Amino acid sequence: MAHFAKISENNEVLQVLVVDDKDLLNSNQQEDESVGQTYLETHNNWPAHLWIQTSYNTINNTHINGKTPLRGNYAGIGYTWDEDNQIFWPIKSYASWVKHIASASWKSPLGDAPALTEEQTSQNEANTHRWFYVWNETAYQADNTTGWELVNHLP
Amino acid sequence: MQKKVLSEQSLYYGDVSMPKGFEIDQTILSKDIFHYKAYNRFPFSKTLDKLSTYISEHIKVKYNINLIKKETYGEVYHQQEITLPLYTIDPVDLKNSPDFTLLYGVDVKDCYVRIYYDDNRRKGRSWDIELKNNMFVMFPSTNMYIISNNNKNSFNFIQTITYEYI
Repeated sequence: MAHFAKISENNEVLQVLVVDDKDLLNSNQQEDESVGQTYLETHNNWPAHLWIQTSYNTINNTHINGKTPLRGNYAGIGYTWDEDNQIFWPIKSYASWVKHIASASWKSPLGDAPALTEEQTSQNEANTHRWFYVWNETAYQADNTTGWELVNHLP
Repeated sequence: MQKKVLSEQSLYYGDVSMPKGFEIDQTILSKDIFHYKAYNRFPFSKTLDKLSTYISEHIKVKYNINLIKKETYGEVYHQQEITLPLYTIDPVDLKNSPDFTLLYGVDVKDCYVRIYYDDNRRKGRSWDIELKNNMFVMFPSTNMYIISNNNKNSFNFIQTITYEYI
């Protein structure tokens, strides 16, 4: 099975459809994206160039089975197609986050969340606490040197 | 102080911007409306499917509303015709009534839609919009509306689609 994202002329993903592998075969019996695009144009009344193949097994530019990732992420409705970088971008979580091309994901302007201390990790493992960092956009907008906040989700 | 919105009446309108070469064919849709008027049954129509799919997909992406098509019909309005107040719900069967009504200008000129609404104790307010070719207006089906064809020379063809949302 192959998956194709239907995109608008503004590069928004409108829909994701499944196409049978046999509908992708060219005259040499090789899978060919353009054959799938033509098939979808015929059957779905939407131009071929606005159907982009996407991989169900690709997330954050990694293939979950260790194969070659395809176009950054598996497309979802509302994602944005970035033709220059050949990436489907998910919806941005926070206004301040920026694109990280290599991992096809949004990153905070302060980088990844700080690592937990050994004590916090051991408390998580002992199930006495559930420490993790969450992003506080309001705090970042007020002071752009802060943003990651440590929270405990166990009482 | 905080605010909680319990209910809202939203109207959605705009042009149907299909990709080049895939535009909604006015002639085919007008023929489909004639077919509906003659046989009281809307024929299977790829053109209508294109329109309906465009609306439901774009409303989903932009406003996160999942629309399911319920009924489809077309109407031809005579020169200078003003309709009686229209409803697409059945007031005694709300369970099986649609949530939204969409009007699409297939072939229209000087066509206006007046949508009535209540604003708390201020009853019977209305909002007017000119419906143009290839333009749609969608509003809650509980709102009454009237359509007026103000031109003296030609019929107005309007496609109606009703939707439920989930």
